[in-house]
Amino acid sequence: MPTYTAPLRDMRFVLNELAGTERLRTLPGCEEVGPDLVDPVLEEAARFCAEVLLPLNQSGDIEGCTLENGVVRTPRGFPEAYRAFREGGWTSLGADPDWGGQGLPKSVGLLVEEMICSANMAFGMYPGLSHGATMAIEKHGTPEQRALYLPKLVSGEWSGTMCLTEPHCGTDLGLIRTRAVPEDDGSVRITGAKIFISAGEHDLAENIVHLVLAKLPDAPPGTRGISLFVVPKFLPTEDGRPGARNGVTCTGLEHKMGIKASATCALAFEEAKGWLVGRPHKGLSAMFTMMNEARLGVGVQGLGIAEIAYQNAVAYARDRIQGRGLDGTKAPDRPADPILVHPDVRRMLLTMRAMTEGCRALCAMTALEHDVSLRHPDPEVRKAADDVVQLMTPIIKAVCTDTGWEAAVAGMQVWGGHGYIRDNGMEQFARDARITQIYEGTNGIQALDLVGRKMGAHAGRYLRSFFHPVLGFIEARMEEPAMEEFILPLSKAFGRLQQVTADLAQRGLRDPFEAGAAATDYLRLFGLTALAYAWARMAEIALGKEEDAFYRAKLATARFFMQRILPETSSLAAKVLAGGGTLKAFEDAAF
Amino acid sequence: MSGTTGAPMVETELRTKAPAGRAVPATTMRGASDHGAADPAHAPDQGVNRPRIQKVGVVGAGVMGAGIAAQVANAGVPVVLLDIVPGAAAKSVERMLKTEPAPFMHKGAARLVTPGDLGTDLALLAECDWICEAIVEKPEAKRDLYAKLESVRKRGAILSSNTSTIPLAALTEGMGESFAADFLITHFFNPPRYMRLLEVVRGPATRAEAVAAITEFGDRVLGKTVIPCKDRPGFIANRIGGLWMQSAINRAFDLRLTVEEADAIMSKPMGIPKTGVFGLLDLVGLDLMPHVAASMKATLPAEDAYALGLREHDVILRMIAEGRTGRKGKGGFYTREKGPGGESLKRAIDLWTGEYRESEKPQLESLSLRDLRALAEHPDRGGRYARAVLLDLLGYAASLVPEIADSIADVDAAMRLGYNWTYGPFELIDRLGAAWLARALAEDGRPVPPLLAQVGEGSFYRVRDGRLEYLGTDGAYQPVPRPEGVLLLADVKRRSAPLARNGSASLWDIGDGVACLEFHTRMNALDPGTIEMIGKSLAMGKKGAFRALVIHNEGEQFSVGANIGLALFAANIAAWGEIEGLIEAGQKAMRSLRDAPFPVVGAPSGMALGGGCEILLHCDAVQAHAESYIGLVEAGVGLIPGWGGCTTLLRRWAENPRAPKGPMPPVAKAFEMISTAQVAKSAFEAREMLFLRPTDGITFNRDRLLADAKARALSLAEGYAPPEVGPLRLPGETGRVALGMAVHQQVLLGRATPHDVLVCERLAEALTGGRKDHTEDTTEAELHALERQGFMALLKTPATLARIEHMLETGRPLRN
Repeated sequence: MPTYTAPLRDMRFVLNELAGTERLRTLPGCEEVGPDLVDPVLEEAARFCAEVLLPLNQSGDIEGCTLENGVVRTPRGFPEAYRAFREGGWTSLGADPDWGGQGLPKSVGLLVEEMICSANMAFGMYPGLSHGATMAIEKHGTPEQRALYLPKLVSGEWSGTMCLTEPHCGTDLGLIRTRAVPEDDGSVRITGAKIFISAGEHDLAENIVHLVLAKLPDAPPGTRGISLFVVPKFLPTEDGRPGARNGVTCTGLEHKMGIKASATCALAFEEAKGWLVGRPHKGLSAMFTMMNEARLGVGVQGLGIAEIAYQNAVAYARDRIQGRGLDGTKAPDRPADPILVHPDVRRMLLTMRAMTEGCRALCAMTALEHDVSLRHPDPEVRKAADDVVQLMTPIIKAVCTDTGWEAAVAGMQVWGGHGYIRDNGMEQFARDARITQIYEGTNGIQALDLVGRKMGAHAGRYLRSFFHPVLGFIEARMEEPAMEEFILPLSKAFGRLQQVTADLAQRGLRDPFEAGAAATDYLRLFGLTALAYAWARMAEIALGKEEDAFYRAKLATARFFMQRILPETSSLAAKVLAGGGTLKAFEDAAF
Repeated sequence: MSGTTGAPMVETELRTKAPAGRAVPATTMRGASDHGAADPAHAPDQGVNRPRIQKVGVVGAGVMGAGIAAQVANAGVPVVLLDIVPGAAAKSVERMLKTEPAPFMHKGAARLVTPGDLGTDLALLAECDWICEAIVEKPEAKRDLYAKLESVRKRGAILSSNTSTIPLAALTEGMGESFAADFLITHFFNPPRYMRLLEVVRGPATRAEAVAAITEFGDRVLGKTVIPCKDRPGFIANRIGGLWMQSAINRAFDLRLTVEEADAIMSKPMGIPKTGVFGLLDLVGLDLMPHVAASMKATLPAEDAYALGLREHDVILRMIAEGRTGRKGKGGFYTREKGPGGESLKRAIDLWTGEYRESEKPQLESLSLRDLRALAEHPDRGGRYARAVLLDLLGYAASLVPEIADSIADVDAAMRLGYNWTYGPFELIDRLGAAWLARALAEDGRPVPPLLAQVGEGSFYRVRDGRLEYLGTDGAYQPVPRPEGVLLLADVKRRSAPLARNGSASLWDIGDGVACLEFHTRMNALDPGTIEMIGKSLAMGKKGAFRALVIHNEGEQFSVGANIGLALFAANIAAWGEIEGLIEAGQKAMRSLRDAPFPVVGAPSGMALGGGCEILLHCDAVQAHAESYIGLVEAGVGLIPGWGGCTTLLRRWAENPRAPKGPMPPVAKAFEMISTAQVAKSAFEAREMLFLRPTDGITFNRDRLLADAKARALSLAEGYAPPEVGPLRLPGETGRVALGMAVHQQVLLGRATPHDVLVCERLAEALTGGRKDHTEDTTEAELHALERQGFMALLKTPATLARIEHMLETGRPLRN
């Protein structure tokens, strides 16, 4: 069975040394955020994840959820774990103190989320969805709706869902058919079918608060005619307790490749009572305001899987002995050397490590900007920070989830045939990771978001939040010999990215097909360049501290990244510059 | 409409703003006119006979009369302006000096207007060759006035009325033969300076010479496109335009569209200004409608579609009663209110309740359609509305030829110039398909006008052998006529292939060894393609492909300057090397324009801002349309001119014989103009500001601009030698300190922001010669390097990037 030790040292590094808690402490409500406050939280989260959530990961996967007479049961141990999770205050960690939350910044919250996803990603789905519902009501709900739902959601007594997808539409929500018919008392009656609803029905919480996209009778066609509604499973009574059962039922559970302990439901709404959240027809834009955070959250799922896959691959590579080192015997006292000595195994492990730590760094840097964008008193500063979040969100979502999948696959590979055996737990990581590249906007959609929305917005202003600081960083270190091995490759990749960006902006403006054809490769190119920037910054911090093994490993990993991963940018640039002609020319009938 | 306020006409739509934020009197129509220069001091005689009209009288100093007088004065012709109310004429001249958009092209023009009172100064009209009446729209009052005019006018002096509603026959009734022989209707559109249409109606007795004289004066001197009309109510533009407005209002009520929806359909998709119909009513005043309706009803036959469609709408009547008559009243169909946070909220009338509500962006699927026929066939209410109005409008227009005009080309020109439509009705029919329209009319059980039936499956216009032809009422195609002295690039483009072309610009052979470099980007913004094409054109000229070059285009704007969207994107990705390379390439292109071994003549119309202005500054000569708005506006976006604009404007002032001596005055003048992003609001102002030289020509009729510029280029080509460019003596450090103190004063007065100070510092450096001082020569190369460094330094500041972004997204400057 896989093991997990939360990477607390690296987490403290990215939080305190890389992103920097001084900047965090300048934000209202974050004045106390420092090691004294954060370390105990991280340590307790690490313990909870290793001791409570991890042991349920494999059993939950094997057992899955069951549906009987409209009632969904989660795997054995889940209800107890959820109660302990709730009572431990983990549902309220980042929530507003006004609703009973602890008000910790996203910079800390993301680290805890990563641990949960490493230990038991399927379990993490339940509080994750509640968090989305909380944000929707907090941002767009009426004062009454907030007072009614938020304390329950924050405490975890009630859980939440997001009901968007319907059988015939996922990415293109303009096509949805669920209808909302206004009642005289200001409520609506909702009728329609929703699918792929995570946490849509379960036995963990006493009530479930569904947030549902539907169309009002006078709705304009397309995405501008969608409204958001709150539809509780049990209608709250006067004193805010679950009352009469509402007209929403679970009609089926999906049989999925992974995250089997997460109940993915088909829901039928039959004249279910609901209430409008936000303004009529503005439901999609209400959802958009939460999208960045949701997408960052999915990126962190990928990161979490990558971390646990890496840890278990390393453990196996140390333990498993096969053959002798190509450069001589390493363990003469044993019949064979551990496979850790083989260069190709080392290649896999270092790739996993460099990508995982790089992604953690990017997430931490972006989470800090996210906190600044929400909390800073100066609107100009908030705007500048939000620019970073807007730009980095699709990159983080796609790159971190690709990393999750690739690391899970590499982890299986290190394990050889044993990685393919269910009991060993490695293949579960691959199965669980796979969904993160698909949901919350497929990674192809993330790439389109980057080239279609983010690149051209405000004549490239979002890009400025990356290009200017990175160029400034490079120029300031051109004369530093110790940094040369990191700055030169970064500067090369940066130049490629500049060239490709200018080229793509022009071609894409003339012909959107060109932008679409280049999108995925462009995102990867951008992501690797951003990782190179993160690695150069981490290397700079580590330089001069080589006596500490942690920093020594940082520098070694940074070198590996620059020499063995970053060169991928040159082939990506070539692919983008080649254009979309071959994609367009191929005859549809010949596929 | 009341006679003193003149024709019920469409106002100029202020569609564009100068990037520096100073509103330029932008016109959606291009001004028209003629010969060399209207300023008599500089008027070169370009083969035009001495104008037969050398002094003009205007009676009635309302908006129309005063505006007509101002335009006559703009053209350099003395004019007497009389009004029945004592002192009113003098007051209206005063008022016009403060009006925006300005009726006068420059302050000096006002001095050519002699105001007077009808009661005491009638004798002033005795010297006038043409007397234009623009008084109240009452036939008796007009005839009373005419009787007085008969007593003073000199023999053969032409008389005209600016009436928009009274038949000519009613005006000449009982006035005698000699009066009738000299009388016609000259119908100007409001405002007379900016609207290019002049409808002329002759009576059966009018002398042909009188018509010819007015036509020539209107065309060449006043710059108007003169369209002959029949003596029918509303003539061409108001007859068709009035029916269109009526239909667009009625159908919006019938099909229950919101005002926003109606205006969205009735604008861009149809090639109509963005005010649509309700926005247009707000502009001209809702209270005008009942007057127009009453007048049309009184003069049109009862079975006329216009008369049949006259309806009153309770909501509109109530709005008029409550004084909500539009922009001049307490709001109209649209209004702005202060929101709770002090922000300005756009609100619109609900056509059924008459109450204001929050303005909403229309959400109609039909609005996404680009094809006009697809729009008219779309089943949603937007499509049904478009179809209904198009059928009303086009069916009516097709039924009116030859009743109101002999030529469909004249009808289309009148609608384009009088209502600022992109397409006249017959051009719209061709876009829809004449056969489609005939079928649609028949399907609705409406009559199909004979003219439409005659076209059948064909079209009203066609291009044959590179010439544009229209269908005459005799069923034969004939060339769309161009008056002598009119050369249109559009005609050149129809009949020939470009000498060279890329995505941003093209080079055309316009005959006699002259080439024309045409820009054709959006708003004619300059980009790397434009610079490349300048280089290519000059290279071809050097190889002998032509002997003179004209830079001209027929876009609304000559050029709004460098494409700041591209520059901002490049700056955002920190592509500094590329940007600096483009600045250098631009500087080189400007120098090459000037130093080429053949003459280069700029021929602008509309805006020539920033880089567009710099191109003109480097031409050997400029022939400018009178409606040219020229300026170096870079400071508005936190930059300084980088393509030699600083250097050349400085040189202009340094070489100006009227300027005070010493190194500082020209620097101070150029500094003031560039740092405050001053824009000339006419070619005359541009001449005062030295954007144009005293020797540069001004053309009033836009259609004659290219021919005039070509003539200018040919006159320079013989024995041409490029100008010598010597070094300058500049004040250096001392001058920079002096300018810095002046800027500091502005900061203390709260007139300059911290970033303004930074921009001014860079500008001062570029204008004072950097480290050099007045004891040394500063070369052009050194000054160009300073411009480039200043430009690059400013472009790297977040405040400049924020200014550029704000300008791109709002069209207004950001004060940061």
